[in-house]
Amino acid sequence: MSNKGARNLFIFGSLFFFLIFIVLTFDTMGKLDKRAPEITEEVNAGKMAWHKYDCIGCHTIFGNGSYFAPDMTKVAEKKPKGYLKQFLMDPKAVNPKASMPKLGITSDEADKLISFLEWISKVDTNGWPPKPILAGAVGVAVKELTEGQKVYQSLGCSNCHMISGIGGTTGPDLTGVGSKRDGAWLSGHFKNPKAYVPNSAMPAYGHLNEKDLNVLTDYMVSLK
Amino acid sequence: MTIKHESQKIAQNFYTFAVLLFLVQVVVGIIAALQFMWPDFFILNFNIIRSLHINALVVWLLVGMMGATYYVVPEESETEIWSLPLAKFQFWATVAAVTAVVLGYIIMGLYPQANTLVFGTRLLNEGREYIEAPRWADILIVVSILLFLFNNFMTMLKTKKWTGIQGVLLGGLTVLALMYLPGMFYTKSMVKDQYWWWWVVHLWVEGAWEVIAGALLAFMLMKTTGVKREVVEKWMYIEVGLVMFTGILGIGHHYYWIGTPSYWLWIGGIFSSLEPVPLLIMVWDAFRTTRETRVVTNKAGLYYTVAHAIFNFVGAGLWGVIHTLPQVNKWTHGTQITTAHGHLAFYGAYVLLVLAMIYITLPAIRGVKEFNPSRAFKSFWIMTISMVFIVLTITGAGMVQTYMERLMGLDYVAVKANYNLWFWILRAVFGVGFLYGVVIFVIDYFKLGKERT
Repeated sequence: MSNKGARNLFIFGSLFFFLIFIVLTFDTMGKLDKRAPEITEEVNAGKMAWHKYDCIGCHTIFGNGSYFAPDMTKVAEKKPKGYLKQFLMDPKAVNPKASMPKLGITSDEADKLISFLEWISKVDTNGWPPKPILAGAVGVAVKELTEGQKVYQSLGCSNCHMISGIGGTTGPDLTGVGSKRDGAWLSGHFKNPKAYVPNSAMPAYGHLNEKDLNVLTDYMVSLK
Repeated sequence: MTIKHESQKIAQNFYTFAVLLFLVQVVVGIIAALQFMWPDFFILNFNIIRSLHINALVVWLLVGMMGATYYVVPEESETEIWSLPLAKFQFWATVAAVTAVVLGYIIMGLYPQANTLVFGTRLLNEGREYIEAPRWADILIVVSILLFLFNNFMTMLKTKKWTGIQGVLLGGLTVLALMYLPGMFYTKSMVKDQYWWWWVVHLWVEGAWEVIAGALLAFMLMKTTGVKREVVEKWMYIEVGLVMFTGILGIGHHYYWIGTPSYWLWIGGIFSSLEPVPLLIMVWDAFRTTRETRVVTNKAGLYYTVAHAIFNFVGAGLWGVIHTLPQVNKWTHGTQITTAHGHLAFYGAYVLLVLAMIYITLPAIRGVKEFNPSRAFKSFWIMTISMVFIVLTITGAGMVQTYMERLMGLDYVAVKANYNLWFWILRAVFGVGFLYGVVIFVIDYFKLGKERT
């Protein structure tokens, strides 16, 4: 191949692939709105707040960002709204171990950020993030779950709390909770967390029926 | 080694600024590494430190490439730069704009509320990764790059010597300038936001920048080994051609999980798997050319050039391809695996490239016939060994994270704080090692040609 031939191949080949890319971009842009819910003013205001506080400087969203703090793609699905709001406004008051600083996010901004994160959680991301394979397998393969464990799982408690290393770190670790609290404290706390822990960001579970509340309390007491 | 045209000396201004920013980048990088263990370690939070770490990197590489271009274009065109005062103005304007942006980040770090809306855009920080610089700074950056391109095109037009090297170099720089524009408008949809944002990020580092690297590699091989222009230019066209053919649609690997249609899984998987091919040809090109020559005029320069080719392939190529297939990326996306790839890719593809250009052109600018390359070799090995270990520790952290968080379902914070702690400690230790290598390089940069041999 002559130098001129190589040069022309480079120039026209690049233009050719760029043209394909432009066509694909048009096609993609036409399909994006159907893959996500409508963007309300509230959601957009939340996105503006996301940029204002440079959230991407620590977190990731759709897996892109700074890898220093948890991914925010599905956070609105996993954590209770009330918790998110309190945490955003003053992280360390809710969770003393939290790394996130108090940025001065107002109550209004927090609401908007949560709307934005709810929008994000509903975008069709081709199945990302994938559900963990092994966490699902443990419950099935190792042993039958007790009634209390079933309630614990169905309520998604492990999104925030940890037992023996499995679960979230946003709420207190429940590994030895049975040796710290008795049944009365625990069941009362389920009904109204703030009455027991002033800064608590946990939602109240007063709507649970008596049986579920009892088996869940028993399960907690058994964690010693 | 002497320069043929007095105005080529302007390259040195850019190099000095680049070298100082390099030092800043590595120092803040160590602060960031310590914040992985102690988030409250410094008065500025991690987000500001990381913005400084990454922006300093991007800016010093760009400034280094600008310096290199101001050297290469007069050399290739065999004439003085069209306007030296314009080049000097462009340099000082860039320094002023960069300083203003950095001050803005620091102010925002101390007072987050200062990042207010002005004319619909953020005053201090756009809050978008890599392109944090606010809109007013974007405009200044574009003006600076346009002035720079204009000056170089006018230089080329003076003698109308259309060499392949400067053609590809300026072509790459023009694409670079154009591809900054998709990052300069606001969209309400985060999906579209990231779609256009990747145009800037991907088409820079896996497109335009690699084209610039291809052109500079050809120039450096020619200067250090005396290989024939025709041979070196032909391979350059093949390399940069393949970079574009695989790289443009290789952008698909960023469109797997951001809300874009699933056909990108196929496009991204196929094209990005081919992205290492041109980088491998560059390695072969560097070795073949080096083997064929008897007389090497600048040992340190050639050393850095070949190392750039190798680590471009290993960092950008291999460390990228291991997690580029959607089947793998589904599990590794958003973990420290990406951080590891980013570190080795930028070190190999661009840090060593700019340092190689400095070692090849600086002796001529300072009018040195021969220089003692011992410090250059020493800093190279300390930097490279440290970087390899930094990358291995982050890769290890990424593997642990992928397994524990993604496969087992453990909490992000638990994995980061408990299971990866030792990786963070080791990373910081090797970071200090890297800083030591950089300090030796900086000393060498300022002393080269100024001490008795």
